[in-house]
Amino acid sequence: MSTFDASTLIYVIQIVIGGLLVGIGVHFVPVGGAPAAMAQATGVGTGTVQLATGSGLTGLISAGLMMSVTDNILLIVLSGAVGAMIMMDVTMIVGNWVYIYGIGVPPVAAKVDYDPITKDPQPPYISPGTVGHGVPTVSYVSGTIGGLLGGAGGSLIYYALMNINGVSGLSAFFAIGIFVVNAVIASYNIQGTIEGFHDPKFKRIPRAIQACFIATLIIGIFAVLIHGGA
Amino acid sequence: MDMVSMGLLAAMGALATIAGTSEDLESDVGSQSNPNSQVQLAAQVGHTHRIYNKAISGEPPSNALYAALAAVTASVLMSDAYGMNAFFSIAVGSLVAAVFNGILSMTSYMGRNTSQARFNQYVYLDVLRSHTTTIMAHAYITAFCVVAISYIMTAPWLPIQHPFPLPVIAFTWGIALGAIGSSTGDVHYGAEREFQQYPFGAGLNAANSGDIVTKGEAGLRSSIDNAWFCAKFGGPVTGLAFGLIVFLDNWRTTIFDPATQGWYAIATGVLIVVLLNVYNRILEVRSKKRYGPYPEYVGDIKA
Repeated sequence: MSTFDASTLIYVIQIVIGGLLVGIGVHFVPVGGAPAAMAQATGVGTGTVQLATGSGLTGLISAGLMMSVTDNILLIVLSGAVGAMIMMDVTMIVGNWVYIYGIGVPPVAAKVDYDPITKDPQPPYISPGTVGHGVPTVSYVSGTIGGLLGGAGGSLIYYALMNINGVSGLSAFFAIGIFVVNAVIASYNIQGTIEGFHDPKFKRIPRAIQACFIATLIIGIFAVLIHGGA
Repeated sequence: MDMVSMGLLAAMGALATIAGTSEDLESDVGSQSNPNSQVQLAAQVGHTHRIYNKAISGEPPSNALYAALAAVTASVLMSDAYGMNAFFSIAVGSLVAAVFNGILSMTSYMGRNTSQARFNQYVYLDVLRSHTTTIMAHAYITAFCVVAISYIMTAPWLPIQHPFPLPVIAFTWGIALGAIGSSTGDVHYGAEREFQQYPFGAGLNAANSGDIVTKGEAGLRSSIDNAWFCAKFGGPVTGLAFGLIVFLDNWRTTIFDPATQGWYAIATGVLIVVLLNVYNRILEVRSKKRYGPYPEYVGDIKA
């Protein structure tokens, strides 16, 4: 007969915090979905879940390497966050190369008249019939924060699962699953496209926090039980 | 840091660059990912075409599938039961992934085009024959490179010892690679190559959706023509993106031993991120200065 103890509860809490970080992080990632692939909307030209998962899992690889040599939670989580930020930033830079040199459009945000960070005017640079293109400074900074939160969240989930079973492959796969669930929930909340934290859709974040909390709590309890934590 | 680790890191960066390039070109020949929305719309707005049409799924899940398939096959062949050499195991594994890719591509092309029969969109058997093999060849290169990177990170006799098993790490890199290809190179195909009849220097006007170019430099345009065009810019920069990510992410843990200098590795990563943010700002300012505001702009806000 197995019982819940204090450490099991801590693992569930860590998984829930990780899930919430992922859910919040996705809201920061500037993605324009299919329209952005035709330079028709601001942001990276792919899906929210795709980019957030790609960066979060790159972070997971860094966190996994770190966890094989240390059990310092801060080092592991930060390592994951930095790995995810590097992936996100390189992708956005190269995305901007394609927009600027391949298509000939400057990066510009359409949801605001002036960039909240640089105060640059935006509307004169929006090509006719589109709602912005590329990754302007505000979206870039927002994407970096998104990578940070997503990478940290994914690593925290991995850290909790690894402490329960000690099998890296199984923990990594469960962490990927929990990551994707939260990314999809957040993606529904922003309906697939968002420019960054300056976008009006960003105000919907409390709803995502509620949904991600419930989803991750249920998955977290099951994940801990399946992995033999109780 | 030792010279062997540095050499392996350089090999990983080079393999990642090739993987990124071939992944992007594979999705261009097959017209996967987001720009395919325009290919599907084209027939419905009266432009029948000879472009391949295989939006099997988003690129990250499909590439994760191919990479994981190749890695699982390779690990089984490398195991004690079969004892095959790593190089040939990865080659056979990638072949399995390429065959799966071919099956999914063909069913996808036939399914999508037959469903558009009411818009006079045909299934071209010559397109199917010539393009599917091209797609499979690119998928083979991608899967081979991704599994080779994963093998370098996990092989017990090499200095980099990643704890994840080979298939999991290949799956993870596959997801990351698909996300990068979808975010970078495909934009060159979607925003430029598909709409080359419109002037350079503007995004696609929403009113022109579906009006893709169907005529080629000679005859009708096929998806292999699209890969030829994208191989000049979209493909290589995608390769550069994946190469940079694999290199930079592993470089900081190669020059600083994570066991004893973990904080230095993280600080190096943060420095890279800060530099990239500054570089993006420089890019933005330079591009706005070079291109200037749009002549059609009539608003009150001055540039």
